[in-house]
This record gives sequence, C-alpha cells and structure tokens, in this order.
Amino acid sequence: MSSILYFEDFHLGRTFECGPYAVTKEEIVEFASEFDPQPHHLDEEAAKHSMLGGLAASGWHVCAMTMRMFADRMIPVMAARGGSGSREARWVKPVRPGDVLRVEATVVDTKQSRGRPDIGHVVFECRVYNQKELVALVFMTPVIATRSAA
Amino acid sequence: MSPQYWEDLQIGARRDLGHYTFTEDEIIRFGRKYDPQPFHVDPEAAKNSIFGGLIASGWHTAAIWMKLAIAERANSKGKSPLLRAGVSPGYEDMRWLKPVRPGMTLKFSSEICGKVELRSRPEMGIVLSRNEARDEKGALVFHFTGKGFVQRRPKA
Repeated sequence: MSSILYFEDFHLGRTFECGPYAVTKEEIVEFASEFDPQPHHLDEEAAKHSMLGGLAASGWHVCAMTMRMFADRMIPVMAARGGSGSREARWVKPVRPGDVLRVEATVVDTKQSRGRPDIGHVVFECRVYNQKELVALVFMTPVIATRSAA
Repeated sequence: MSPQYWEDLQIGARRDLGHYTFTEDEIIRFGRKYDPQPFHVDPEAAKNSIFGGLIASGWHTAAIWMKLAIAERANSKGKSPLLRAGVSPGYEDMRWLKPVRPGMTLKFSSEICGKVELRSRPEMGIVLSRNEARDEKGALVFHFTGKGFVQRRPKA
C-alpha cells in the first residue's frame, strides 16, 4: 500500500508523465459527430478553409483524451476522489489525425480542505504535447485527494 | 445566411439550449472511453464512492453543452443571437457543482457576457459566454466561461 499517493505526497513541482495517445481521423470524426458537429472537425475539405487550416479534433475531445491519459496514469496510484472542475484551458495548437499526444501533469498548488480534515485539493497543470514537442493544450485542474491517515 | 460579426453580438443576449437526459449506458460508455474512474464506469463500485452511485464524467457534461449549443445554432437558421460556431482559444472557471446521475435531466443555457478586442489580430475579436446547466429544481449543476473567435466587421 506504500505505493498509493496521498495528499501529502503531492509536493509542488512534482510531475507525472502520462500517455501516449495516438489520435486517429476516425476517432476525431466520431467524437465530433456525437458532440461537436462543426465542419472543421468533420470534413477535411471544409476544414482546409477554416481558421484551423485542416481537420482538427474538437477541443472538448482533446480535453477528454487528456483526461484518459491522466486517469490511466493516476487512478492506480492516487488516493483521488474525482475533480470539482477545471480552472482554465487553452487550446494552443490544433490536434490532427496522426498526432501522438502525451501529458506532463505538474503539481502547481495544494490546499487542505477547511471543512473536511480528511481531504485536500491538488491542482495540476496539464501540458499536452504532440509528437513535435509542441504544446497543444494547457489546462489547470484541481483533484480531490485523500489525506494520509497518519 | 448573413455573416455574423463581432460587432453584431450583444452582451446579455441569452438562449436556452434545451434539455438533455443522461442515461446510465451513455454515462458508462463515455467513462470507459475517456474517464475510467470507478464512479463513472462501475455502478457497484460507485455505490461505495463518495458520490454514492454512478455519475457522469464532468467532460461528458461539457460535451453535451457543446452538442446542444451547436444544435441551437443550427435550428435558429442563422437567427440566434449567440455566437454561431467557430474556433475557441479556451475556457475559464469550469465547475462541476453537483453530481449528474443516470436519469437526471439538465437544462442548458448560454449568455454572452463579454467582448474582447484583439490587438494582435485586428480582424478578429473574442466573445465570452457564461454557460450553465441546471437540474429539474433549477439548482446550478455545471458552469463555465466559454470563449470564441469572431470576425470583426470589415471597415468600409
């Protein structure tokens, strides 16, 4: 059980590597068809003439893929109780078919809960890089962590 | 459809985006694909979590907001007072205030709450929107501030 990370283990600056995630055209179109059916997420020809300059994943899809990478890395090791929101996201670069994403999740803030002595909030800055090492997405998200029983 | 310019969008313009009922199957499908925390994918494990039962991923709620926003814009045939569609630089202050459980119906809305000029790109502006979901009793469940790029009206 010593491998489980509690609130106290999340020191400022501690970084967790998550991913990779290979992005396919099929998945981009599937997500967009269900949740974000805009031409620049669905159709290559229409996307060429859009501000994105070519087919790109919905920003919500990029957030969801980031969540998946973060969850796969952290669920097995973190005494986590879910999140309460996401303070800020910047969709910096389009995510294209064929991109391979990875995440660096860095602890940028921690706060003990005032009302609940058994939990605390750990704020992660998640930087999502593509295979060219360019940042595609940055988001700040607080996760609720159990405090060590000690 | 007449073009929509940054100058045409009015702060305070608000629209209901409609209702959406979350089903257990959908919650689990989204959770398995993108957010496999036990309380999003496993009804039994969820009973023993702090939420006391299965709940939707917050990203699922956000994706449904987007789905309804796009539908409203399509249904309005270009007459919606909201931002029609397009590309966004990001969002701020997203909060998941109450759990979204199977069978819950949420009512979504969007209101234009700010406009920002872009010095770096004088042909574009940003429109800010306050976006919400409320439960059947009207309690706030989800909100965030969205941002969208919009063309400025060309100078004559």
